[in-house]
Amino acid sequence: MIDTKTDVHLDEMSRTQLADYLMETVRPEEGIIPAYIMGDENVNKLEHEKIFMKTWVFIAHESEVPNKGDFITRDLAGYSVIVSRGQDGILRAFYNMCTHRGMKLCRADKGNKGQFTCPYHGFTFKNNGDLIGVPLQKDIYGGQLDLDQMSLHGVTLATYKGLVFGTWNEDPEPLSDFLGDFKWYLDIVVGRAEMEVVGPPQKFIVHSQWKIGSDNFVSDSYHTMVTHGSIAKLGMVPNAVYSKKGYQVHVENGHGCNIGMPNPDFAFPEGLIPEYKENLSADQFELMSKVKNMIGTVFPNLSFLISHTKIKGKLISNTTLRLWKPIAHDKMEVMTWFLVDKNASEDWKNRSRESYILTFSPSGIFEQDDTEVFTDITQAASGTIPAAKNFNYNYTMGMHREPVDDFIGPGIVYPDKFTEAGSRNYYSYWLNLMKA
Amino acid sequence: MDIGKVLTKYEFEQWLYEEAKLLDEIDFDGWFDLMHSDLKYEMPVRVNKEGMERPDYSVDMFAFQDDIETMKIRVDRLKTEYAWAEMPPSRTRRFVSNVRVLDYVENEKAVVRSYLLIYRSRSTDIHHDLISGERQDEFKFADGRWKLSKRFFLVDQTTLNTRNLAIFV
Repeated sequence: MIDTKTDVHLDEMSRTQLADYLMETVRPEEGIIPAYIMGDENVNKLEHEKIFMKTWVFIAHESEVPNKGDFITRDLAGYSVIVSRGQDGILRAFYNMCTHRGMKLCRADKGNKGQFTCPYHGFTFKNNGDLIGVPLQKDIYGGQLDLDQMSLHGVTLATYKGLVFGTWNEDPEPLSDFLGDFKWYLDIVVGRAEMEVVGPPQKFIVHSQWKIGSDNFVSDSYHTMVTHGSIAKLGMVPNAVYSKKGYQVHVENGHGCNIGMPNPDFAFPEGLIPEYKENLSADQFELMSKVKNMIGTVFPNLSFLISHTKIKGKLISNTTLRLWKPIAHDKMEVMTWFLVDKNASEDWKNRSRESYILTFSPSGIFEQDDTEVFTDITQAASGTIPAAKNFNYNYTMGMHREPVDDFIGPGIVYPDKFTEAGSRNYYSYWLNLMKA
Repeated sequence: MDIGKVLTKYEFEQWLYEEAKLLDEIDFDGWFDLMHSDLKYEMPVRVNKEGMERPDYSVDMFAFQDDIETMKIRVDRLKTEYAWAEMPPSRTRRFVSNVRVLDYVENEKAVVRSYLLIYRSRSTDIHHDLISGERQDEFKFADGRWKLSKRFFLVDQTTLNTRNLAIFV
């Protein structure tokens, strides 16, 4: 029986044994999630192999590299990649490693240039990956060096509405299929209008398990009453339970979101309504018109948020993306991007940025309380006790509820944000990948 | 040596030390009282650029971008019973050094640069965070004392090694 005390040693298990043990103990359909998956080193290693090396992982927004020659360096499942727009306008990504002796080719966060020169021996690559220059080539290689065989190692990329995903999987499911029905909701966040990232992403380190962030955004609106109780006190939202009203949606592949509605106010720049109508279906626009906020996660670790709050007496929304990037089982780098409707007025953009920085950046007065919680959960989940004693989390909220069948968007939809259906779905898919 | 300059430097050193004390002793109201109503408080995101290309920070994204009103919200929030990020408050120790007065008009305005190193410890956590950077501060003389009207904090990390900025820089 699972619920009795066990004497397990996860660190002594083989990969197969660990996967089997996960199948036995992680029971999302019953609302049982064991604490050890939030703090175990071996689970983290298995996740890297079974999830981050296999799925699509978010790396950038297209507006970060708008022009020919623009590049940024990013991390794909722990490996540095250069994302570059070639002189032909095509967006590509390469493993950030010189093919001659393996030196990191590019050490800047961003820039614009047509070629990259290795700091070790001066090998030069064009921004389409071709090796085009080797110092003293004719003399020292006798003109025999096969440059064609030494192009940079390409990384598979795919984009959806400006979101750029990469994968190390050589035979990935098409990105569009992977996102599936979730695209309907993502369109409202990132495809409602031409969107642009303002400035570089903010990056900070939290001593937390990465899944806690994904989990928080996929189904946990319940925490806002307490963790974010301060914002109701400050009058930035109407009351502490404002976050209950709305819907929770999940679709295949672990994706899901929470939609706070209705909203008596239109949360976006009204002047852009024609653009929104052009980019969205009538049903999508109708939903968008009533949205108070939208919070969700694209499996495994990209979360998004549309937040609508009152600042300086005026309502303003801000749209952000955030990546919960694992560094270790108990440590992640959080990257946050601020997105804005490109054709909004400068005043709207500035106010939206101000609200983002005040609420959801590293200094954000909403965000900072989350990272405090994430850190303490991770600490409590780490070490041998949580696994040995079989401490479980309760994920049964909303199990008595039936999904609605008349919602205008796709997926499985519950008429209340306070449910853990989205997390049960998330961990089911997680488990599915961990056993594969 | 110009004794006037020495005294001016001493005056602003004392101001910055007093500010550090107020923040380290969790006296947010006392600290907020040092702010001028024209306050502009910014901390841009630091960026790794190629070679010596400057500026090596973002001109359009900030970790802090506050005026007196948003700063008031931050301070008020810390006084609610829900400000978990600082409950219990971080133990911080601010080290201020390399103070240089760049511009000074008696009883009117001043521009002062300084270095800042913040040690931050949270609760029982055995990790500590270090935040270092340079401040460029502007002061205005109001009601018989110097008030901070502008702070530009250039942090030394591109990836901040701290869980949040629930503290001030």
